Amino acid sequence: MNQTYAVAAVTAVVLATVLIGALGLRISRTTSDFYVASRTVRPGLNAAAISGEYLSAASFLGIAGLVLVQGPAMLWYPVGYTAGYLVLLVLVAAPLRRSGAYTLSDFAEARLESRRARRLASLFVVGIGWLYLLPQLQGAGLTLEILTGAPDWVGGLLVALVVTGTVAAGGMRSITFVQAFQYWLKLTALLVPALFLLAAWYGDGAPRARFDAPAVLREHTVVRVADTVRIGLDDPLTVTVTGRVDDVPYDHGTVALAPGTHHVLAGTELAFAPGAVLPERAATGADPLGWSQPLAGGHDGHQLYATYGLILATFLGTMGLPHVAVRFYTSPHGRAARRTTLVVLGLVGAFYLLPPLYGALGRIYAPELALTGSADAAVLVLPDRILGGLAGDVLGALLAGGAFAAFLSTASGLTMSVAGVLTQDVLPSRGVRHFRLGTLLATAVPLGVGVVASKVPVADAVGLAFAVSASSFCPLLVLGIWWRRLTPPGAMAGLLLGGGSALAAVMATRAGLAPEGWAHTLMAWPAVWSVPLGFLTMLLVSLATPGRVPPGTPALLARLHLPEELTGTVPAQEVRR
Amino acid sequence: MPEPHPPRRPRRETVTYASAHGAHGAVPGPARRPPAHAPARSEIDEQTTLGHTYVRSLMRSQLRAALTALGALALLVGSLPLLLALPAPEALVWGVLGVGVYPVIWGTAHWYVRRAERNERDFTGLVER
Amino acid sequence: MTGIALAAAGAAGAVLLAVGFVLGRFTARRAGRTADPGLGTPVERATFHTLHTASLAAPPLRAGLTEETARKAASTLRSLLGTEALCLTDRGAVLAWDGPGGEHHRAHVPALAADTLDTGRSRSAHTDCADPACPLRWAVIAPLTGEDGVLGALVAYGSRESAVLVRAATEVARWVSVQLELAELDRSRTRIVEAEIRALRAQISPHFIFNSLAAIASFVRTDPERARELLLEFADFTRYSFRRHGDFAQLADELRSIEQYLALAGARFGKRLKVTLQIAPEVLPVTLPFLCLQPLVENAVKHGLQERERGCRVTIAARDAGAEAVVTVEDDGVGMDPELLRAVLRGEHPAGSGIGLSNVDERLRQVYGPEHGLVIETGVGAGMKVTVRIPKYRPGVHRSA
Repeated sequence: MNQTYAVAAVTAVVLATVLIGALGLRISRTTSDFYVASRTVRPGLNAAAISGEYLSAASFLGIAGLVLVQGPAMLWYPVGYTAGYLVLLVLVAAPLRRSGAYTLSDFAEARLESRRARRLASLFVVGIGWLYLLPQLQGAGLTLEILTGAPDWVGGLLVALVVTGTVAAGGMRSITFVQAFQYWLKLTALLVPALFLLAAWYGDGAPRARFDAPAVLREHTVVRVADTVRIGLDDPLTVTVTGRVDDVPYDHGTVALAPGTHHVLAGTELAFAPGAVLPERAATGADPLGWSQPLAGGHDGHQLYATYGLILATFLGTMGLPHVAVRFYTSPHGRAARRTTLVVLGLVGAFYLLPPLYGALGRIYAPELALTGSADAAVLVLPDRILGGLAGDVLGALLAGGAFAAFLSTASGLTMSVAGVLTQDVLPSRGVRHFRLGTLLATAVPLGVGVVASKVPVADAVGLAFAVSASSFCPLLVLGIWWRRLTPPGAMAGLLLGGGSALAAVMATRAGLAPEGWAHTLMAWPAVWSVPLGFLTMLLVSLATPGRVPPGTPALLARLHLPEELTGTVPAQEVRR
Repeated sequence: MPEPHPPRRPRRETVTYASAHGAHGAVPGPARRPPAHAPARSEIDEQTTLGHTYVRSLMRSQLRAALTALGALALLVGSLPLLLALPAPEALVWGVLGVGVYPVIWGTAHWYVRRAERNERDFTGLVER
Repeated sequence: MTGIALAAAGAAGAVLLAVGFVLGRFTARRAGRTADPGLGTPVERATFHTLHTASLAAPPLRAGLTEETARKAASTLRSLLGTEALCLTDRGAVLAWDGPGGEHHRAHVPALAADTLDTGRSRSAHTDCADPACPLRWAVIAPLTGEDGVLGALVAYGSRESAVLVRAATEVARWVSVQLELAELDRSRTRIVEAEIRALRAQISPHFIFNSLAAIASFVRTDPERARELLLEFADFTRYSFRRHGDFAQLADELRSIEQYLALAGARFGKRLKVTLQIAPEVLPVTLPFLCLQPLVENAVKHGLQERERGCRVTIAARDAGAEAVVTVEDDGVGMDPELLRAVLRGEHPAGSGIGLSNVDERLRQVYGPEHGLVIETGVGAGMKVTVRIPKYRPGVHRSA
């Protein structure tokens, strides 16, 4: 792959982000166009901004990678990411806007009239934000590594620096235009190469991607295994090895591997002849790549359970993501918030038609990525692999730019909201200087953790944040909006028990503490039990503390549900327009 | 037309209420307003209290619309893992999960938005007439 | 709304009262009276009489429950009730006594009324009068209530225990209560109007209104179309500024009002006034205290155009800063002596200038806390930059508050 083009594309995206963020204000120099400048954001623009912020590394790279390795069962990820907005739309969108809350902590305080509930909510906002930031930074590292061969921490550091720099220096004066720009950039960056790749695939005789059998390599392929792996063989296989296999050192040695499991040390190079069957990675519970295995593997109970775990987490978790909630503030009123969400559903859904294509093409043309542990890079390497030449370079650069847009947009949105909450509720005092400290803290923690933590496919890692969000903020928002008997003790107990247990299960799984078998599946996909746990705790504890119902509840619920023209807060023609 | 700048631009000083009371002076004023519930009985607040019974009925009709949409989602999308657990051709999985689901989701959302807005219009008519 | 409801309740109460009395008296005196039906039946005439008596008692009571109003009302109330004696108290003392026996019964009233003042419930009691000739044997004590609970009590004395007296006294007390509630409403309405006028005086200078109208007038002959447009802007601007409810508004609405203000100011100053607006659209829905930016802009325009020959540029910027929106209003005008400005912010208005600034500063600190007051950078001849940091969310700050 041509580094120059790719580096130029990434630089251009970074520059455009910084410039639009700093200068993308609406400017008018005559009073006659004041009206245009001071008109609130229309649903179309706001929806593009929300989608731009939402489509992260997990969407741009992760889905294709998972599909490549595990097959079409992974399509539940994009379906869940989209359907989450439908659930958000019907249960939360308009009332959340009408509450006047900017962050989820604001909502907790407005609804529960309790500073303690606010602080607890803030902790969850920060926790979920960090869980979500981590894979963005890791994805950036992987991308830059593929593009330039830089160490894997450089990309994360670059994204962290750009985001922290612009946000902390007050350079992000307006985030709406940045995010909207990045949605269209990401869509273009994925759509244009996809058209070329499909044309080339068609010209190639339209080979079928097979997921029910091990992939067959189409040409002579050399694979460098990054992490130590175990591979499983059904049939004997002859490979040329440089490195260690089953603790035997080789240097360009031809080895005939018998059927069964083999141990390949990190750094080993395996050279396959054309037509060779690619060995499958044998996953264990502690092996992070095995995470999504239950989703794809066999038609047993594990698979069904894991699928529903994913569905619950993504369907219910979207509403509790810190960077999603804050964008609804931009809508001028509840009805606009609803219409905005409808447009978001269209934009996000259209985008998600593309990544699975890359996954399928990757299965045909670059199946060895499954073995190297960098399947997330499938999107980036395909143009070079299928088209080659200048076209491959240029399209690859476009994809690299799009990927960076994904890291930057999601990371900056998350950093803004996490830093805001840190400054307001966690750090001792307030002020501009503390916002800078908050920004630094917001990116430094996931950056540091990213260096030491094991690599999990980005889509999986993002799924964890969804699970925690679904078990904590989903019950808080849904019951807070629709149930008048919610009390602060109930809400706090539910957050702690639902969100806390999901978080603990997720952390334990990531640390490799989960035992094999059902226990692992239960802990890796906690939403199925932690979401009901959160809801039940909130319900029961609230019912047990009836005296603690906040006195302003009826007035607040009225404000959440009454259309604005009745509360007189927006001129009627504004709402009806 | 750009103004010619004067050669020496006079310096600005920063003035705040605190500095007006001396750098070390304690700043009077409430530290933070307690969560206020309708402090001023403005006309709007009165309207919401008067409409309190109405609000419940609006909430019920909006919740019904929301639950209908969620029911559709559960039925049309939530049941797919069970259906797809049956031996199904791979192309079907691709078609359903890769493409078919999205129009269903969007259609449900569109129905809900129209329904919710109609509920609000009906409610406004009920209250204002 | 409440006022009309109360007035209606008052009127209905008075009519019921009258009808009740008339019926009572009619049944007592029905024997042997004949009259011209064209001049009203005895029932009707008694009704008019009662209504007239009630209407005489109403005006004093509408001024609230004081010694003076109680004295004026007591005699009419007694003739309305037709009792031996009547006494009105507030929560602490006897306000008025009408009828005989006041000299030796008056002192016992507080003890008699204590229970009613406490619980708000009517009761009847024996007076235990030692004087066998005294006609005041029984008393009915009924509470007089206002919006904030029991304000006082009405004590009606009769010569014997009587259900009619009980009923009549409680009905009269209820009618008086309605009048008192109306009195409270009157007072709070006056307070609101006063507060509004005070606020408006601080927010919109009469000079501006005068100057705007003068500028519009100057266009009436030369450019009637322009004059018409400006008049509409003026109407919109004043309608927004004089709106009666709500302490808070959206930044977008505030900017629209500023736009109208600047259009009017521009009509007067022409090309000498240049304005730049830089807006991050996501902060437009931010809720902030009503009319807190307009005085800053007015101040900037005033400072900018003080030196007649020079033009002036006013820059209004609103940008996103995480959980806050930062709004700045900057001019390149004459600026201000920082010492003078400090005095203004302390609440001393030496030259009468910058009252708008101190009013805005005070309101912002009141709503958001001391760290959210105005930050003003200025010097003599150095222009002025005013910065406001507005939290996107603060409990209690929402548009319908």
